[in-house]
Formats: sequence, C-alpha cells, structure tokens
Amino acid sequence: MMELLAQVEYGPLAVKPYSTEWLIGLIVTFLLAAGAAIGLSKVPANFRRPIVSIGTFLCGLIYVLYWLWPRPVNLKPDQVPNGMVEQVGKGLSDTLPLLADVANILTSFLLGLGVYSLARIHFGKIIKRQSDRGFSWVLIVSATMISVFGFVDYILRSQDKAGKLVDRENWGFFNVGQDIMFDGLLLQMDSVMFSLIAFFILSAAYRAFRIRSVESTVMMASALVLMLSLLSPIMFQWNTMIAQMAKGMNIPNADPSIPYPGGFFHNLQISDWANWVKGNLQTPALRAVDFGILLGALAMGLRLWLGLEKGGVSV
Amino acid sequence: MIKEKLLNIDRRILYGLLILVTVIPLRCDQKLNNITDDYSNAFYEAVSNIPEGKTVFIESDWTTSTRGENSGHLEALLRILMAKKTKFAIFSVGDAQAPGVFRGVLLRLMEERKTLGLPAYQPFEDYVDLGYFANAEGTLQAIGGDVRKVFEKKSIRDAEGKQRSAFDSPVLSNVKSVGDVPMYIVVTASNTIDRAIERLSAKTTLACMCTGVIGPSALPYFQSGQLKGVAIGLKGVFDIEYLMANGLNLETKESVKWSKQPDKTAQPITVGKTLDRGNRYFLSFMCAILLLIATVVTGNVMMFVARAQSKPQGDEA
Amino acid sequence: MQWLDTGWFGMLFVITMVAFILYNIHRAEKRGKDLFIRRIPGLNAIDDAIGRATEMGRPVLMVPGIGDLNAISVQAINIYAHVTKAAAQFGTPIRLCVANAAVYTVAQEVIRDVYQEQGVPEKFDTDSVRFLTDRQFAFAATVSGLIFRERVAAAFFLGEFFAESLIFAESANSIGAIQVAGSTEKSQTPFFIAACDYVLIGDEFYAASAYLTRQPLLVGSLVGQDWCKLLITASISIGFLWLSVDRTRMVNEHRAPLEAASPEVWAALTDDQKGDAESAEGWAKTDKPELIKKSDTFVHRLFNPMYNEKQLIVERQKKPAPAGEGQ
Repeated sequence: MMELLAQVEYGPLAVKPYSTEWLIGLIVTFLLAAGAAIGLSKVPANFRRPIVSIGTFLCGLIYVLYWLWPRPVNLKPDQVPNGMVEQVGKGLSDTLPLLADVANILTSFLLGLGVYSLARIHFGKIIKRQSDRGFSWVLIVSATMISVFGFVDYILRSQDKAGKLVDRENWGFFNVGQDIMFDGLLLQMDSVMFSLIAFFILSAAYRAFRIRSVESTVMMASALVLMLSLLSPIMFQWNTMIAQMAKGMNIPNADPSIPYPGGFFHNLQISDWANWVKGNLQTPALRAVDFGILLGALAMGLRLWLGLEKGGVSV
Repeated sequence: MIKEKLLNIDRRILYGLLILVTVIPLRCDQKLNNITDDYSNAFYEAVSNIPEGKTVFIESDWTTSTRGENSGHLEALLRILMAKKTKFAIFSVGDAQAPGVFRGVLLRLMEERKTLGLPAYQPFEDYVDLGYFANAEGTLQAIGGDVRKVFEKKSIRDAEGKQRSAFDSPVLSNVKSVGDVPMYIVVTASNTIDRAIERLSAKTTLACMCTGVIGPSALPYFQSGQLKGVAIGLKGVFDIEYLMANGLNLETKESVKWSKQPDKTAQPITVGKTLDRGNRYFLSFMCAILLLIATVVTGNVMMFVARAQSKPQGDEA
Repeated sequence: MQWLDTGWFGMLFVITMVAFILYNIHRAEKRGKDLFIRRIPGLNAIDDAIGRATEMGRPVLMVPGIGDLNAISVQAINIYAHVTKAAAQFGTPIRLCVANAAVYTVAQEVIRDVYQEQGVPEKFDTDSVRFLTDRQFAFAATVSGLIFRERVAAAFFLGEFFAESLIFAESANSIGAIQVAGSTEKSQTPFFIAACDYVLIGDEFYAASAYLTRQPLLVGSLVGQDWCKLLITASISIGFLWLSVDRTRMVNEHRAPLEAASPEVWAALTDDQKGDAESAEGWAKTDKPELIKKSDTFVHRLFNPMYNEKQLIVERQKKPAPAGEGQ
C-alpha cells in the first residue's frame, strides 16, 4: 500500500474539473460513500464502537508513523525512493495531505448538520410564534442575503479573467451588496464585539483587583507595576528625573539625556521592575502551565488513539 | 452615600468614562517620548539588518477586529521593508478574511507613497500577495518541507495583468526552500505563532508582531531564542515607530540606547513616514491605563474606608 | 522526524513519556481506585452550581470553546457529560452552545446518551445542544444574548477560548450567574480569573474527568502525567547543571591563558586560535576568538544537529519518463 502511494503523485482526485473522468470519479466516490454510510448504519450497536476504535487507531497510526519513520533526505520530485524505508517514508508524507483533505470534506458535511440545527431552532421559533422570534427573522433573512450575494459575487469574480472587478467602478449590484454586507457590516460588527473587551477589562479589573488576601495583593501589585511600565512617556520622564538625581550625586556614568541613571539608581526604574516580573515570574509560570497543558493533551490523545477513552457516556 | 457609590461604581459610568478618555486624546498628534522594550529593540534590529536582495515572508493572520494593534504592526513593518527596498511575500494561514485586510493596508501604503512622491512598490516585481492557505498546520508543515510545492499552486497577476506562476516573480525566483528566507515574520492576533514555531523555527529565523493579549505567550519563545524579536500590542507599534524615527544604539542624541546589547545597531528610517498610528493612539492608550489604575485605586481606598467604618459598629454589636 | 545526528533525543523523550502514561494506566487499573487526587475547588463547585440552577428554575449554560474537534473539545464534552448527568437527575434545563459543526455532532450524541443512561430520554430536548455559528465574534454575541435573555443561573466555560472569553464571563457575571471556567489558551486564563467564580488553570482542565469520575484509567493517566512532569523537571535540572559546568569550563579555558600564558597552553593551540601572534606572551595580549564556542556545549549539541539535510547527498534513480514524452 505504502509503496503504491509512494509511486503516485499526490492528488488521486487531481483530474481536470468537469471532464468525463472527473464526473465518473465523482459518481463512484458518492456511491462508495453512500454504501459505506448505509453499511455502517446497519452495523449492530455493540460492533460500532470497535469499528470506530479501529478506524481511529489506523488514522492515528499514520500520523505516529509519519513522526517516527525516517523521511527520505533531499528527495527530488523526479527521483525514485531507495528501498523500503524511503518508500514508506515517502508514502506517509503523501498520505497526510490526503487525510487532511478527507477530514476537510467530512467537516463540510458536518457543517450542513450544524446549519440544519440552526434552521430548525429558528424556524421553530417563528412557526410557534415564540417570544424573541424577531431575532430569528433577522438571522434567517441576513443569512439568506449574505449567502446569495456572497455566492453571486464569487461566481462573477471567478468569471472575471481580465481583472475588471479589481476596480470598484466596474462593480455591479451584487458586488456592491456583498461589499456592504460583508466589509461594511459583518467585519465592522466583529470589530465592535472585540472592542467590548476593553470595557469588560475595566469593569473586571475594578472588581478583581482588591486587597482582600495576600494572593490578591500580589496580583494587584504586579498588575500595577506592569500597567505603570506601559506608560512609557511618563516613565521616560521618571527615569530622566532619577538620572538627574544620580548625576547630582556624582554617580558614575549617570546621564539624564539618554536617560541612564547608573549604579543603585537603576533599581528605581519601574520599567526594569516590569521587565523583571515578565522575565522571571510571568514567563517561567507560563512555561510551567504550557508543560501541564501539553502533557494533558498528550495523555488525552493517547487515550483517544488507543480507544481507551470511553467519552462522555461513561461518566 | 458617595463612598458607597465609589465602592460599587455602576459599570455604565466606567464605560462612559472609558469612551471619553480614549476618544478625546485621539485628536492629539504630539510626538511622545518612549522607553522601548528589549524585544521590540531586537525585532527592529533584526528587520533593519536583513541582507540586501533577500526576500522576507510575512504571515499575516489578523482581521479587522484587532486592527487597532495589528494594522499598526503591519504598516510599520512594510514601511521598513519598503524603505530598505526589501522584497516580500505576504500570505495568511490563520483566517480566510485576513488577505482582504492586509490588502487594505497595502493599498493604503501605496497611496501614501504616491502622496509623498516615493516610487511605487510594484506587485509581482517587489512583492507578491499569495492570499490564503487553509489548514494552518498542514500548510506550515509543507512550507517547512517544500515551499515551492506550496506556493507554485498560486498564480498571481504581473504588472501587465497576466496570470503568472508565483515563482516567475523576481520576489520568489531565488527561494528554493524556506531556509533561503532570512526572516519569516508572523503578524497575528491568535496562536498561529505557536504553530509557526513548531514547524519552522529549526528552518529559518522567526519574528513576531502580536496583540497585547497574545504577547505573554510569545515571550518564552523570545527568551529561548526561537523568536528573534517580538512587537507586542500597541506598545510594540509605538516602539517600532519610535525606533524607525530615532534608530538604535547610534551616536546621535535621539537614538534609543539599548544598554543590554550595546553592539547591536540599526539606522533610522529616513524615507517616508515613521511616526504614525502607534504614536497617535498611544496617548489614548495611556489615558485608558490611567483610568484603569485610578478605578482600581479608588475601589481599594473605598473598600478600606468602608471596612474602617464598619469595624466600630461590629465591635458594638 | 529525521534521525539526523542528535534528533533522536526528542523522540526518545516523548516515547519515554508515552511509556510513563501507559504504564500508569495499566498500574492504576490493577490497583483500583485508591489513588489520591488533590482537591480542585472549581470541580467541587459543579454540583453547587447545578443545585442553584435547579432552585432558581433557570438553565445551565455550557460552552466547549470555539476550537475544532480535537482533544480539548472532547475533554470539554466529557466534563459537560458529567454536568448533564447531574442536571438530568434534577430535571434542570441545559444549553450547550457550540461553535463548530463537528463538535456539535459529537456533543449532541453524547448528551443524548447521558439522558438515556439516566433513564430519562424523554427529557432530552434536541434544541438544548445548539450549533450557533463558526464565526468567533458572532458566536460571542449570540452566547451573550442567550445569557441575558434566558438569564442562566450557572455557566461553564471549559475548552479552547480566545478573545471572546471575557465577553462571556462578564455577561454571565452581570446577571449574577455562578461561573466555572478554564481555558487551554493560557493568555485567556487571567481574564477568567478576573471575572469568574472558579477557574481551572492549565492541566486541571485535563484532570477534570479523572477527578469527577475517579475511573482508574483516567486517574492512572493523571499519575503518568505527574511522572512526566518529574521527568521534565529532572531534565531541566540536569541540563542546567550540565550547561553550567560546560560554560564554566569554557570561561576557564578562555581565561587561563590570560592569567598565565604558559608554553603548554601555547603548544596546545591550533593555528586559527594563535591568529597573528608569534609567542605565548604576545598571544596573551591579543584579542582571541573563544576557545570553546557556545555551540560546542553538550546541551547545545543535544538540541541542534551538526548537519542539516542540505549537506547530505543521496544517490537515487530517476523516475522513468512517461510514455510519449520527448517525442
């Protein structure tokens, strides 16, 4: 299997679009997929789990082998891999994009299920005349409009070989509509939602940064140091003042014009405190958290791959 | 009564104050002083000293929601590259909308160059726009493996409007692998920097421009040397613009002095704009931080006042 | 992975960690349930939160983050299955809002199974598990709207969250909902700490299912993770000591000739190291390249192979040209 994959260029579906081969391939793939889906649905419930586990293990095994197996060094497109080790290595490299494509296609189908769920809930609300059904109307109308305008705009742009639509003056009704709805409304609303975070940070900080315990005092103190260090024009003046003071006390190398305080006066620079907090407290802590998270992910991945994880049903 | 109100300020009042303190200073365009961060200095030094004739890769993974920070990052970066006539390839792996957004920045800079009477930066000749690549991990893995295989699928328009292969462009013609690229810069609002480090850090030099929220996650990589430099948040934009205007570790009075790395130098940018968005927004940013500090201090002072007042009553009870 | 030079080290390290985890799973399944897990307040609060929602007659909101179907979202669904189990027992309504279609499919199956397992399949409302949108801020707006309209009594934000985390947490906070949160994105944890009642930090998120169910398999895996942490700590300590010794040697070797430019040292130098100097005394006064470079240290070599792929040339046969080519 691997040798076979190693000999073919990646892209078994890479036939000319809309050609006869393409159409036949599409029909055969559809029939195979439909057959597999029907077959799986007829499998008794107690056999489904082993089938899923075997599928997961085989797919995962390809990724694990890809990582463990030596890859052919400097293999050029016109060269044949040497021996079994290189052939398997090449086969694994070629299989990964294929798996990624299959995963993307499956996700697209699942998106259909998601849209079905969304439509069922909102049409249900409208039909049952529930409260807040106005929002459901807004959702359905706007989703329909942006789909139609987006699709027509896409078709028009793909047919525009001469690149006329790069110039706004050549835009038609659908191009303008798409621009208004997508760039003019959707993206701007995204920005609005993001900017809300600034307001929420203010109210959350006001509530959270209180001197209630030792931990909260440490948290507040370090937050204050970091916030002060961000006020760099003010900190610049502060450092200049310290450097002037140091120069007045004949500290060697003190220079207010840089500003460079020199000697002990360096310790009075709040920007240096902030750098110390970031470099010696924050960064090591984040590294430690990272280790924990990644080990958790490794353990979880292992359990899923080996079929040990029984999912939410068992809890 | 006032004390109680200050102890539990209505969040709408806080929000109103925040709008005021951020909107009013936007009108002010005064040049500000700055203390630049070490990682910003490292970033500017690295980008300024890219060898001539090399092509830089820019992975732009942000959209309009974080334009306040990332737009300034990308503008400053492109101004440096354009001033030094460095060719670049720009693309996104993080979000399908990202190309639309970075194209907006490119158009704005082209207009700016036109207004300032600077020569145009030509697509295909001076830079290539490779658009969006789905599946970030797979794409970065493939870029690390064989960059030509990834980019050769993209056709781009040359100066005459003809569709050509990306590798026909002088920008990419000398790039055989990602190792030929002296610097791979990620401008991001998400964790795509982690993916770039996982897949590419052993193959090329990486640098990052990210939002303030992502910044702390990027710093461990800077400390370990996996990132050559980092520009974080609006402060990062301001730092880079300040360094562009004043240079790094030079003999001049205005130059930024980086005491930890006195041997590393970088010249200021003398062509086109330097101080712009970072300098303009920074006063607003400072006012917002001052408001934050003031509310935190007020909350704590009032909490202590309330505690002090309730203590004698508690004793009596 | 390419087994060049010292590239084997990372592979060996990961394989050791995998072995630790699998061995501990095996050990725990043999030993049963007597392994200790420290108290995690955020997970203890789950039952209180559901109880509160039951008393108030309001729904419990659960969001498994906005990531794809991966280990993180599967873990989040595992935790939510436990939450749903308690909610199903009390008949408390749930809202599981999802931003990814694949996660939605899995979540719906798991939640339906939980109701069936609890013997109350009729209480499962298909609308309780909802796919809202896969756009980040549209999802944030929708969930916030749901929080305000349905005035949820308890909110669980466990999974992969990004900038929307604070929008969720502050919205739920403003209506007084009890909140349990945890993100694998460490940049979002501070926001949750500022706005939520209970927060799971770092790998506590992955420890949750072991903590809640005490299944030997999961607890064993957790112990295996702790072994891995010890391994990492030991490696850091050994690496730190080793590097210190190497660097000290480097400094000493560099400094020694300055202090005593002896004929023995002079004799041991290579031509490159001697540079333009003609005698030991003369050499001691000149600027010298470092005798040992940073790249010569053991720790540096361990992570930086000496050769890259470009330096290796492998002879191979050319592919045969397709029929018809070249005519």
